[in-house]
Amino acid sequence: MNRRELLQCAALLTAGSGIVPNTWALNSEQRTFLASRGSYLDRVELTFFTSDQRAIVAAMSELIIPRTDTPGAIDAGAPQFIEAMVAGWFNDEERKHFMQGLASLEARANGYLSLDAKQQLQLLEELEEEASDADWYRMGNTMRIWDSAAPFICQFKELTILGFMLSETGSRQFLQPNPMGAFDGSLSMETNQRVYSVQSPMRSVSLPISTAEDL
Amino acid sequence: MQSEATDFDAIVIGSGISGGWAAKELTERGLKVLILERGKNIEHGKDYIGEHSRSWNLDYYGLPDRELIASDYPIQGDSYALMASNLQYWNNDRLNPYVQTEGKPFSWKRADVVGGRSLLWGRQTYRWSDADFKANARDNIEIPWPVDYKEIEPWYSYVEEFAGISGQEEGFEHLPDSKFLPPMEYYELEKTIKKRVEKKLDEVKITMGRCAVLTKAHKGRAPCHYCGPCHNGCSTGSYFSSQSSTLPAARATGNLTLLPNQLVSKLIHNEQGDKIVAVNTIDTVSREKRSFSAKLIFLCASTVASTQILLNSASNIHSSGLANGSGALGKYVMDHGMIGHMGMFVDHPNMYFKGSRPNGLYIPRFRNIGQQDDDADFIRGYGYQAHCIRPDWQTSFNQKGFGADLKESLGKPGSFWIWVMAGFFECLPYVNNQITLHKQKTDRFGVPLVVTEFEWGDNERKIAADTAVQAEKIMRAAGSLYHILSKPEQMSVGGAGIHEMGTARMGDDPGKSVLNKYNQAHEVSNMFVTDGSFMTSAACVNPSLTYMAFTARAVDYAVKQLNEGQV
Repeated sequence: MNRRELLQCAALLTAGSGIVPNTWALNSEQRTFLASRGSYLDRVELTFFTSDQRAIVAAMSELIIPRTDTPGAIDAGAPQFIEAMVAGWFNDEERKHFMQGLASLEARANGYLSLDAKQQLQLLEELEEEASDADWYRMGNTMRIWDSAAPFICQFKELTILGFMLSETGSRQFLQPNPMGAFDGSLSMETNQRVYSVQSPMRSVSLPISTAEDL
Repeated sequence: MQSEATDFDAIVIGSGISGGWAAKELTERGLKVLILERGKNIEHGKDYIGEHSRSWNLDYYGLPDRELIASDYPIQGDSYALMASNLQYWNNDRLNPYVQTEGKPFSWKRADVVGGRSLLWGRQTYRWSDADFKANARDNIEIPWPVDYKEIEPWYSYVEEFAGISGQEEGFEHLPDSKFLPPMEYYELEKTIKKRVEKKLDEVKITMGRCAVLTKAHKGRAPCHYCGPCHNGCSTGSYFSSQSSTLPAARATGNLTLLPNQLVSKLIHNEQGDKIVAVNTIDTVSREKRSFSAKLIFLCASTVASTQILLNSASNIHSSGLANGSGALGKYVMDHGMIGHMGMFVDHPNMYFKGSRPNGLYIPRFRNIGQQDDDADFIRGYGYQAHCIRPDWQTSFNQKGFGADLKESLGKPGSFWIWVMAGFFECLPYVNNQITLHKQKTDRFGVPLVVTEFEWGDNERKIAADTAVQAEKIMRAAGSLYHILSKPEQMSVGGAGIHEMGTARMGDDPGKSVLNKYNQAHEVSNMFVTDGSFMTSAACVNPSLTYMAFTARAVDYAVKQLNEGQV
């Protein structure tokens, strides 16, 4: 829920409650269950990247998570998720950092899309090798919201993985939702068992503790 | 301002766990009840808009909107239960702020809806025993409890039979069994851990978490379908909340009126100062000020909020706050400290699971039971809530590599299990841990802001350290390959346990306590306070079940007194 929707929601929930509130209810149009809203990607408006940038981002993300016998990053809309995150979720500095990374990749390749797939991958591998001592790779550096200082290649990989694994396609056609109905804690793994898809990303819980200085 | 609606027999302030119970018990005894709730209305099922939502339904796939959290939820935002899909339940910290004393942080987690934190709670339910009720007397700490276990026992049974508590009968003397529905099932690793630990460590017992989540149909509510995040709301009513349980029962009597969006600002007493004659409210939407009256007042707004109301109701007679002749009001804030320890296990690498179990294992307190342990440099004790996790890509996405291999690796379960032991420890009552009102600052309705002041004491720091010493023993006995133990300074900040209590404690001595043994104010005969503020000590177990039992008991007493003309 973004702020605008939250405010709308709050306004709806507080509107019109009178002395006999048991008769008060949201009408069905006002009460939209998040689960019935479809995919976030279908309602987000993407205007941030140029068409060239979009193509580069798509090519990179597909190299990270390619289509195999299951859908890949492009099938799952990971490039669109990346654009939405960079445009809306990042702060100004993070956005600048990311766009500089993209521009420098393009400059270094002298036209990333003019490279063949093998060369494109090679360049990503070079970037990763140069970043190999970054904190991003340290064990446990996952239980945080975002590593703003991580090198471009690391951030790009992280966005791609999030955009794939949390998407409807990734959640349903690469992973499977954990079935509801009963709990069984003694189930033998299937051959090639995959983990369950995520309902709500674990990182949403970790935030710094607030103190008096924040008020 | 005219007082209105005097045809109510009782007013209940707050609709969370305690308020819901008060309303149910009062209406079922034939009283006309008005609930005043500061939060907006949430209708059971229909308003659980985040229920069964998935990552892809949510903006940014449910990653926290950092700007919104920083501006509007800086306090609530670090709660384990806060998710993009349930923000609608939480207090907006920008609109409804409080002031923390510098260097003495207290994280006040609040709901702002009908049902209160009963929608968001952790649902763990444990009875107290006399080890707890007699602890203050034995240790000569502050004041003794005016009740013992025997007196409360039938009320535990009473509320459990209605609420529906799943768990395993064990016969532990210091952690009495509830009236249980069948316990939940174990993970294979948990079975192995239990077997190993109980064989190697005589004093340590492990049982399935006791929780207010149904394992079979109960009073028209369906058993848990193991979907996972209870905190979005549960339309099948499988966990106890005011919406699923007490409010429908109260409504069924035809005696309930519930008004959301009504902030109680002040309680007004009669000339003698021994009875409340009016409850002043401010409509949080229209800002309209109103005043209601009834014969009985049940204050169940939650510990800090109820204390705020009482302090703000100071008068010429009750100069330091209503019913505060003792001076105890607002003082002795307690919470449960939390500290986590984790171990890695390579047992059962090829076992998996199905369904999301909203419960863990429980290791009941085993320190200082009956008598002080020789090797304990602290009094009281702690229990552990333990959780079994099979790591997935969320903790290992920061890998090197590209392409199909990376993709396959991300899809695989981690090669080990993690078992987390979260120690929940008792906090002693300290006079300097307190809630006061700000002398200048008021909120958007003109009500003085709450000021919190809270510090853990030496005993809590020593307990926190001991949770690590014992956790290491348990992890070793359990067969952990590698474990990470937290240091005492990594324990939770005050309030973050969301078990705040103690600011209007009960006791036999009106000079040292606010309430008598029936939760009735010593000085105000028609006022009962039954949220966490009545707690004279904290024990180490989750407190909500105890609030339920005392609330039902207080109503029983209050109505009898009313009928006898004693109130």
